[in-house]
This record gives sequence, structure tokens and C-alpha cells, in this order.
Amino acid sequence: MTLTIDGRSITAAENATIWEAARDAGIDIPVLCHDERYDPVGVCRVCAVDIGQRILAAACIRTVEEGMEVTTSSSQVESQRKMLVRLLMADQPQPDDDPKETTTGDNELLSLARRYDALDHDLPIGDARPVDSSNPVIETNHGACILCDRCVRACDDVQGNDVIGRTGKGYETRIAFDLDAPMGDSSCVSCGECVAACPTGALVNKPITGPLKPREELKPVETVCPYCGVGCALTYHVDESANQIVFAEGRDQPGSQRRLCVKGRYGWDYAMSPQRLTKPLIRREGFYPKGPLSADVRGESRGRRKAGGVVDYDEVMPAFREASWDEALDLVGERLRSIRDEHGPDALAGFGSAKCSNEEAYLFQKLVRAGFGTNNVDHCTRLCHASSVAAMLEGIGSAAVTTTYGDIVNADVAILAGSNTTANHPVASSFFKQARRRGTKLIIIDPREERIAEHADVFCQVKPGTDVAFFNGVLHAVIELGLVDSEYVSANTTGFDELRAVVDAYPPARAAQICGVSEEQIRTVARLWGEAGAGVIYWGMGMSQHTTGTDNCRCLIALCAITGNIGKPGTGLHPLRGQNNVQGASDSGLIPMMYPDYQRVDDPGAQAKFEQAWGQPLSPVPGLTVTEIVSAALTGSVRGLYALGENPFLSDPNINKVRKALSNLDFLVVQDIFLTETAEFADVVLPASSYMEKLGTFTNTDRRVQLGQPVLEPPGEARLDFELIQEIGNRMGLSMTYDSPVEVFDELASLGKSLANLTYDNLGGTGKLYPNDDPEASDGTVVLFDDGFPTEDGKARLVAAEWLPAKELPDDDFPFILNTGRLLEHWHTGSMTRRSYALDAIAPEAHIWINPEDAAALGLADNDFVRVESRRGSVELKARISHRESRGNVFMPFHFREAAANVLTIDEVDPDGMIPEFKFCAVRVQPASNGDQ
Amino acid sequence: MRTRDARAGRFPGPSLIPALHAIQREHGWLPHDALVELGRDTHRPLYEIQGLISFYPHFRADGPPPAIEIGVCRDLACWLHPDSTPSEDVAATYAEQPDVSVCSVSCLGRCDVAPAAVVNEQPITIADLDTTVAATRAGALDPASALRPERTWATDPYDPEGEIDSRYRSLRAVLAGTLAAEDLIAELKVSNLRGMGGAGFPTGLKWELVRREGADPKFVICNADESEPGTFKDRQILAELPHLVLEGMLLGMCAVGSEQGTVFIRHEYGPEEQVIRAELARLEAAGLLGTDVLGSGQSLSIDVFVSPGGYILGEETALIECMEGHRGEPRNKPPFPGTHGLWGKPTLMNSVETFAAVPAIAERGSQWWRDQGVGDADGLKFFAVSGHVAKPGVYCVPLGTPLHQLLDLAGGVADNQPLGAVQPGGASSNFLGPESLGVALDFDGVAAAGSMLGSGAVVVMDETTDLLAAATNVLGFFREESCGKCVPCRVGSKKAEAILMEILAAGGGSADVDERIVELEETLRLTSICGLGQVALGPVISVTKLDGARPS
Repeated sequence: MTLTIDGRSITAAENATIWEAARDAGIDIPVLCHDERYDPVGVCRVCAVDIGQRILAAACIRTVEEGMEVTTSSSQVESQRKMLVRLLMADQPQPDDDPKETTTGDNELLSLARRYDALDHDLPIGDARPVDSSNPVIETNHGACILCDRCVRACDDVQGNDVIGRTGKGYETRIAFDLDAPMGDSSCVSCGECVAACPTGALVNKPITGPLKPREELKPVETVCPYCGVGCALTYHVDESANQIVFAEGRDQPGSQRRLCVKGRYGWDYAMSPQRLTKPLIRREGFYPKGPLSADVRGESRGRRKAGGVVDYDEVMPAFREASWDEALDLVGERLRSIRDEHGPDALAGFGSAKCSNEEAYLFQKLVRAGFGTNNVDHCTRLCHASSVAAMLEGIGSAAVTTTYGDIVNADVAILAGSNTTANHPVASSFFKQARRRGTKLIIIDPREERIAEHADVFCQVKPGTDVAFFNGVLHAVIELGLVDSEYVSANTTGFDELRAVVDAYPPARAAQICGVSEEQIRTVARLWGEAGAGVIYWGMGMSQHTTGTDNCRCLIALCAITGNIGKPGTGLHPLRGQNNVQGASDSGLIPMMYPDYQRVDDPGAQAKFEQAWGQPLSPVPGLTVTEIVSAALTGSVRGLYALGENPFLSDPNINKVRKALSNLDFLVVQDIFLTETAEFADVVLPASSYMEKLGTFTNTDRRVQLGQPVLEPPGEARLDFELIQEIGNRMGLSMTYDSPVEVFDELASLGKSLANLTYDNLGGTGKLYPNDDPEASDGTVVLFDDGFPTEDGKARLVAAEWLPAKELPDDDFPFILNTGRLLEHWHTGSMTRRSYALDAIAPEAHIWINPEDAAALGLADNDFVRVESRRGSVELKARISHRESRGNVFMPFHFREAAANVLTIDEVDPDGMIPEFKFCAVRVQPASNGDQ
Repeated sequence: MRTRDARAGRFPGPSLIPALHAIQREHGWLPHDALVELGRDTHRPLYEIQGLISFYPHFRADGPPPAIEIGVCRDLACWLHPDSTPSEDVAATYAEQPDVSVCSVSCLGRCDVAPAAVVNEQPITIADLDTTVAATRAGALDPASALRPERTWATDPYDPEGEIDSRYRSLRAVLAGTLAAEDLIAELKVSNLRGMGGAGFPTGLKWELVRREGADPKFVICNADESEPGTFKDRQILAELPHLVLEGMLLGMCAVGSEQGTVFIRHEYGPEEQVIRAELARLEAAGLLGTDVLGSGQSLSIDVFVSPGGYILGEETALIECMEGHRGEPRNKPPFPGTHGLWGKPTLMNSVETFAAVPAIAERGSQWWRDQGVGDADGLKFFAVSGHVAKPGVYCVPLGTPLHQLLDLAGGVADNQPLGAVQPGGASSNFLGPESLGVALDFDGVAAAGSMLGSGAVVVMDETTDLLAAATNVLGFFREESCGKCVPCRVGSKKAEAILMEILAAGGGSADVDERIVELEETLRLTSICGLGQVALGPVISVTKLDGARPS
């Protein structure tokens, strides 16, 4: 299409707007309401251009036409722009008072006003409009709002949070949250996308650490969010002299596309907490025999603490004395050595962390395997996706996702199973919600009606613990309806007949009886899925954290495989990984049965390979898992434990058992950034570096390997984990002399196939997906297995599962089913997020979610205290009455030390994944006195 | 070409407006909890509900309605009337009656009985206020019925006494295949019938463009949302000639290939809505609606959509946004409704008067229609005459009739005062002075005189009228009715009104209107998204020119 802009002949795409065509030609047309990230709305009219018609055209929204003649800056056009800016300025705060001009200084309206000499106008000034300060991190200044609708599009179209709209009409129009609620009382999730979108001072961040400043006065550090597996790219703007992050912004990356959630945008100040450990600590003599130090960890606090409280250091610190690094490290080396020498290598164990980098994970497992001489090394993947990994390794020979979260745009149907995505993978959920609006059918399977369920085309509210029955019913219906892709099945799978024989016994009518979803709905799901050109499955802990977790995932694999939904765009299997580096930690060998890149320790070839690489004899016996190590500590077969960044006291099931186990250890060294609940049992505590202080690579849920950059200096004497692992290694007789994480990465990459070709140099600012044949030119492979599977026969193995009930079913004594999980605002054991001003302010205290009818039957009002008891323990906390729970089910987040959900949970595990059944145990709920809160 | 504006506050899915109406019917207003429940049940965001209930004046979210609610019209025709009473004064009268609440409202379309008011949705003239309030309190208020005086209109080709069997002849001919759609459209093109809603787009061409569109389904909408001050001629056409309106629509549906028609009627036209519904019932009973009508294979269905309020909905894309359940904010154009209208599908939209003209042309031929005009003009035109005239009302005259003849029909300027000015085409048309009395009332004639034929609303002002104040009143209407979507209209109309009010309050006149108003007029005209903002300041500028040309 050819048109003329300002006398120049220009060729533009057919659907291009005038603004886009001009931009491509290097012609700048000013805009306020327009941002390329959003669909244009054409409301500010500042981009008006002359196209030779009766009126001017809004360049941002008007598409080009053949032969169009556009004038972008005649005096007539410019004087209209000037008037529009004058009109807007008439109702704006003075620049000296402007909430943006006085902070980040990037008010786009003011810069236009300067350009058009419209700072001083002669128009009547409007009445003052209100300020809404109800949100802890975002201030809304209606007086600075120009109604450009950028926040509306950011909130509704991009994040899919659907909170902001316009209220009123004409000059009285304002932006509003929900039914015109104060922002802080609305359903706003404080993702801050609106702030990032706002061109004026209408929506601004409140300061979290030091005062907000213009970007030019701060150091930008391009890195990755430390929280979840989505791994959003971001930039921290750092005040170097104060060693403080001042604010964070989303950064462009093929996956996250500049989006962030509340944790990423506002939850980074934990690293600057005054509770950071700055000196090595050694337990004082008087505090043996070891045991918990604080009332919370002793289990005596009954939840009646002040909201938002973290551990009181006055309560726990007297048990420790400060020590020099040499003294502390020597003591660690000496004690671990003596346990090894006295009781054998398998009396030692290590808990690594999925919050640490690939390099740290690799070094840690190398230390345990080659330095301690045992495979007793594991990390929190055991608590999240171990069953998914087991099923995927068995079924398709690989534990990594077969496609990315963003690939949902290519799917006709997506199943989201057991995933509270809006809370746990918020940015990924925004892509799911967006895809659904563009036509992807969304099927949600969950016992809880969480926010994402509001976006479902089909919402299947299964009874807890009945997933296998539900999916067998769907598999049955897919087969019955003739929707099996027989060609794919015969070419690419084995075990179909056995699968069919098992699911034959699950006609939808029977499956419906078990899982509580109607027969019709099961058939609807089967039809939607089976008839789709491309279908993809994303799942979370709701699938994996069951004693049938591996079976649940086997069903998902079968569902994809029998319909040919693997290996094409918009198809595949994607367990949404929890931690920022749980994929990478597992890839790096931080699991007891495998060396890096899933090479089995009991495979003699792999053993020989790693013995040669590491120069030490290695044990061919698969080690113990997290839950097994806790049990072994209790029985005394594991006596010494090195915990790096893990907090098993709060994260593992049945805390009363964990308490005994940790107390029973001969020697516990905890390396962490805070004195965690687990550290109360420690002999030695090593002050570590936070994520913000170190260099390393992190692999997100998509298999994207990204560089995390140092942002801050470590506080006090805190040291890099990378150094500390080596210090301990060297004291255990394993020589480790890496100067930088780069060397570690190269060694790790050389020992497997996945990371082949990747180097620090070619990861670039946005990382690379693996596998990647040509990182210089390619972002990496999105869709895996378009040509067979990395199994022995190259085929996917279909494994049928019979439905089995959960281990502890409700009864008259314990009539409720307890489900546990996370909140949007908090992370795991709360050690980071409860020390974040924003996150703590938004979600300061523990609640148990309960259905309104159940609450009524118990005589409960919202926020009443209840006592929750299981066969293992009891806690007291406030009730939150919510339609999201079905009758007979209650939900508790596990972040809160004063009301720890894992006091109640059961330590039964899945036989294949060894993952605990966090999603199901029986409890009773009773009103407790509200007393003095 | 992009097919529509970005979502920006427009959630996909069926309209929530019917559900909101249902809640309001049940409770008398929209309680917060009921809205939360609606959002939860429909899985729709609360912001969307808030956007709707705060946009449409019909919805009430701030508490139950008072027992008796009086709305007093503030717009031009009522404002001009010597008996006009500001709403504050009316409120003072009822201050001792706690069950009565008084507010001011925009034009009610009852300019012929100005000053007009509304009591619990019943339109009245303000003289009847006390008796209506008393009757309402006593529960003895009879529902108003549409004004249907015994008279005939030149555009009605049918026997005024005739039953339905004698009417809808052209529709029956089309359904029987004896009148081809192409021929009907050709006839309309030759007739030079132009849209009577204000813009004057050639009707035959519009029908042809929609007929040519390939997309399916297509929709036909009758825009019965006339709400501009001084405009009430569609109201009388609906009341007296509903069969022509509906036959015109049905012919349009057959001609463009649509099975679904909608009469979008303004909320204040309750009595006229009843007339249309009664005529639809007759059509249904006669088998002229339904599937396979008269064995033709054609399905025809017409429903009535009652506007939740607001002048802006008369703008065709705002009307469509409303029907889709969104805030009635006009879309950026192009694309136009003919290609991307309701639900993004090709949509034929004409006004009441335009549709009502079609049966006569179909029955009597294009030549007959053209012969009705005076001079170069073709056809007939309904005018609503109000303001300072002796006999305000609706008149149907040949297009091209000189202005003074229309004024004579309406009994001349009230009280035999000299003429001050006329707004010949509704609130958005420029004022004309007495020197323009000879202007021919057709599209070209009025345009040549510096104004426009517009909506056919002729508002007459006598010599004593403060024209700047009158034009400021008109601007106030547009400011009040601005949807707020785009900056120039939302902010510009407010600032301009503030400047003018300041001048008027200081006793100033046209000579005091400064450059800011001139610049604002240009910016609003050149950059507003829709006609409302584009014309909002035109009348003010026209008055300053009229005043400027007058000997001081």
C-alpha cells in the first residue's frame, strides 16, 4: 500500500495505522493515549493528522489507505495539538506538585506541554479531584488523570485482571476500580501494570525503600525476577550509594513481555531487610540439647500474634554467638567429616535450593556426591513437581516442558489442571486469559473455584483427590467418541491397549460418581479436547501434590498422546514450575537419583563419567529424598545435614515430626540470608548472599536460561553461596577452585546435552531456551518432540492408572478436607515475602478459607478465629468465608509460621515421586475464642 | 482496516444491560450486593458493571428511588418558554414534601408542550405538575398514551381507516417476489431520498452498500433515539405512522438480507414504544413476522430495544455499542456500521423518518416522491417547530419550503414578537437571523445560508432572546451529554461553557467572546471523534457572527 506522508511516498502494510507507517518512515507523531503494547483507542486525539478530509484523523487508530495524503505537522494540525495539551493541562497539578514529575520525572503530558509551550494556559481550572491512597504501593491521583485508557488496557487487556474501567460520563468521567471501590479495597492484585502504563502522575508507585528518583539518577540492572518459575525479565533501578533498589520495571523478553506481578514489581526489599544475617553464628553451649527457640516454632503461639510479624530476633539470637568465618567454616568441616568418618557417607545429607542458581545447584550436588560421598541430596522439587517429573521421565523420557506458556496462543483448547495460576504464576496466567479472549477454549479442572476459573469456558470442580477418575473418564470418552488420533498413537506410542483396558472401566457415568463432575461435562471436555486441532495442558501442584501425583500426571500424558497433542505448536505438556530455578536445579543434578541432565546415579556409565569428571569415587546408590531424609534424621540414620536456602521446618509435611527430626540431628549447618525456622535447630548458621547479590543462571518453566546479575552488595560479612560451597568442599577434601560462576556453567553444560551451545556470552539480555542449536541466531526451541521422544524406543509410553482414594479421608472426627497452597502475595515459607513491605502490607496474616454454608453451620463470621486440628497437630487462625471453596473443603496457605499449615498436613508420599500429599488430609474446624487478637 | 476499537473496558460476551434492568425492576434500584452477585454469576468483571450503571442515566445505584421523582427539562425549547422554571425553584416548591425529589434533566422530546417535565417517567407539561404529583401520590396516575390526533399525513400511502390487510402492500410484494429488492433500491436511489436523522446520507446508496456486504448475519436498526433539544418529529411519526416505520424497516431487511431488526427507542418515549409494540403484535398476528413469512422463505423478526438513556446513543456507533452492552461511546470511524456494525456485522441503520418514507416511494414511485419537493428539492420532510411560536408542533411540508412558510404554519412568532433567530436543524445547527426567513428548507438551501437541515427541529427565538445565552444553553446540553471518551469534547465543552458562563454572569455579550472560544471551536470540530463534539461550539460561534453583523 502506497501513501504520501509529509510529501514523502511511503509503502506500508495493509493493516498499518498512519502512526505506524509514519514511525517506520522516521516521522514522529506525538501520542498520549497510544502505546504500542495496547490496541489503539484514539481518545486523546493528540496524534491528529490532516488527511484532506472535513476533520482530522487520529493517526494511532486510522488505517492507511491507498493514495492517502497525510500531513502530520501543518500549523493547523499543530495548533489543535497545542489546544488539546492546554485543555489537559488546565486540570493537571502544577509540575512542582505533580506526583510523577517529582519522582521518576517522566510525565509524558508535561513533556508535550513543554514542547507545545502549553505549561501556562489561560483556560478555567477544574475542581480538584480526589487522591486514592488506599493501596499500599500505588497512589491514584484522579487530578492528574487524562483518561487515556492506558491503565484500563493494561489491567484488562494485558494482565486480564479486569479491575479498572471508566466510571461516570462526560467531564465527570473517572477511572474506577470494580464498583468504584477504593483501589486498596478492590479486587486489584497490585501488579502495577497500570503504573507502568500511565503517562502522567495519575497512577504512581509509592516509595518502598528510598525516595523515587528519575532513572538517570539510578543504576539500571537488567536481571530476572527471583520469585516464580515464569522468570520474568526485569530491571531494578538501584541507588548505589544507599545500596538500595528504588523501583523495578518489567523488561522485554519473548516470554514475559515486560509484564510483572506484585511480587516481582514490589516484593524485592526483603534483600535489604534489617534482619539479614551479616555474621557467621555458632550455637551457644547453653542451648543444647537442641530444640526450637521461638514460641512459633515450639508450636505455642496459637496464631495470636501481631499481624505481619516475622521472627523476633530477640527471642532467638541469644542462642547464638557471632564467630569468624574461619571458625565457623572449620567447625562445619570438622563436624561433617567426623560424622562421615564415624557413621559413613550416607549419614550425611544436603538440602539444596531451587532459589539458587544452576551453578550453585551444580556445585552443591557435586559437594554432596563427591565431597560427602553420598547421593543424599535433594531440594524442594520433591515438594512440588517430583511426581510430574517421575511421570514425564517414564512416559516421554524428559522432565522438561514440551512447550512454553506463551505457546497457548497457538492452541485451540488448553486444559489447566490443579493450578491456581493467577496466584502462583500470575504473568503466565495473563497470557492464558489473553489467549482465551482471542478464542482459545479454556478448560479448568480444580476443586477450588479460584480467580482463573472465572475465565473458564468449562470449569470442572472435581472433588479433591479424584483426578485420576476424572481423567480416566475423559480418556474413556475420547476413545468412545472416536477422537483418538490412531495414526499418531501407532507411530509414536506404546501401551495404548493396556490404557484402553483400564479406562474402559471408567465410563463417564462412573467417573462422574467418583469425581463429582457431571457425565455431560466429562463428555464436553473430551469432545472439546479431542476435536481441537491443537490442545495443550498446563498443570500445577493440584495434580502433583497427591499420593497419586504420578498417576495424575500419567493421565495427562496419555490425554495428550492419544490425541496427537505433542510436538506441534499449541500442543504439549507443561508442568508450571514453582521456583525460579526448580527446572534448573533439577537439570543440574540436585536430586538424589540423578547426576546433571538426568543421568542416573545407578547407571554405571554415568557413574564412571562423573567419577572421571570430578576425580572422586561416587556412590551408585540413589540417595534419600527430602521426606526420607527427615525420617532418617528421626531414626538417626542421617546425622549431619547441610541446608542451603531451604526451610524444611515450614515447607515439609507434619511439622511436629520435622521438629523432632531436626532436633535429633547431630549437626545441622544452615546457610541462609535470615535466621529461618529451620535455623533455630542449627549448630552453625552461615550468612549467605541473597539472589540480589550474585551472578548466575536461572532456568525458568519454559526452559529459558537467563542471567541473574548482581544488583546489590552483600550486607556485612555475608558471602556468596558459590564461595561457601567451595569452602566447605575444600574442608571435606574435595578441591574446588572456581573463580567465577562462568567456569561452573561451562563445566555443567559440558556434562550434559541440554545446555549444549549455551554460554554466558550468548545468553544475552533475555536468555535462551534450550535445546538451542544456534544461540547466536535463535531464541531456542519452543516445541519439543516433533519427531519422537528421548525414550529407548523413541515412543511415548502410555501408563494407565487406577483411581485410588487419598490416604486420609474425612470422617466424623475430622470431617473437612484440608487443601494447602500459596497466596499471590507470599512465597513459600514467607522468609522473603513477609519481609517485603508491600506484600506483608497486603497480606499480613494467616487465614483458612471456608465455604459460606460450612461457616454458617459452624456459626462463623468472617475473621473469626478458628481452631483447626488434624491427627498430627492443631493451629488457630482467622476464617475467611469464601465462595471459592466447595462444601466440606478448606484451604490454608503454608506461608505463616504462627499458623503453619504443615502442622496439619500428612507425611504420606507418592510411591514414585516421593512427593507428600499436601493437597489432602482430614481436619476438623471449630470456633475458637476471639480473645485478645 | 481494523474492524473495531480496542476493547478498553468492553468485555466480550452478551450484554449485561437486560440483567441490570431486571435487578432495577426487582429492587427499584441497583443494590451493591446484587451487582456483585451479577458479576459472579455471569463471570463478568465489576468494572464493566460500574461503567454501565454510571454511564446510563436510567440506572440508579445510589439508593432506592424517591416515591415521587420529578425531572424538569433544562434545554432550549423549555428554557425559552416564559413559564420555564429552573429545577431549583421547582425543588423549593416541594421542599415540604419529603416524598418528592426534583432534578433537572435533558430534553424530554416534549418541546411542543414546553416547559416539559417528567413525573415518575410520565411526561407532562409543567403546568400539570401539581395535579400529577397528587395523582401519583394517590396511586391514581393514569399511564400517558401517545398523542394521536385525527389527521392524515402526505407520506402515508394507505387508507388511514384501513386495517392491516390493506397495509404493508410493498412488503407483501417483495415477499411474493413481485417487487425485487434490486428494483426497490434502484427506486430509492432515483428518488433522492436522504437520511432524515441529520447527516442526509443517500438512503438508496446506503441500502445498496449493506446489501453488497457478504458477511452474515446482517442487522437492521431503526434509530428512534431522537433526543436533541427541539426534536420530536420522530416521536409523532412513531405515534401516528408506526406501520410506515415498520414497513420501511421490513423492506430494508428484505433488501439487504437481514432477518433481525431492532427499533432502538429512547427511554422517554414510553407511550410511543407501546404504539410500536402494538403494531408489532398486529404484524405478528397477520403472519408478517416470524420464520418463512408468507411462504417466502424469508425470516423476519423485529424487537424493541429501550435506550437506557443519553443523547449520545443517537450517534449510530454509540447506539451499537449500547446494544452490545457497552458504554455508549462512539467508535472511531471508519469503519462504518454498513460494513462493521452490530457485533461487527454489516448493519443498516436509518432514522424513523427515513424508514417511514420508504413505503410511499415503494408504493407510488420515485417520481411521485420527487414531485413532492419544491424547486430543486425532492420529497417531503417532517419538521418539529418549537420555541417562541404560536402553535408548536410537527409539520410535514415539501422539502424546499421557505422557512417563513413553515413559521406561518406554526402560527408565527408567539405574541407577534419580531423574530430574533432560528435554529433550523436542531441543537447542532448554526443560528440564522431574520434575514434568512426566505431560506429554502432543504439540504442545500440551509447549508448555503450557513446552517444545516439537520434533524428537522426548528427552534424559534424572538427578538428579546439573549442569543449568546441561548447558544450557551445549547452548549450546556452537549457538555452534559458528552460521553467523555475523547479529550476535545470531554474537556473542551466544559472549559468553553465555563468561559461563556463567566462572560454571561458578568453581563457580557458576544463582543466579549474571545479567541479561546474560537480556538476551542476549531479544535472540537476538527478533532472530536463524533458529531457531538464536532458541532458543540458551532451555534455559539454562529451567534457571535450574527450579533457581530447587527447594528449595535
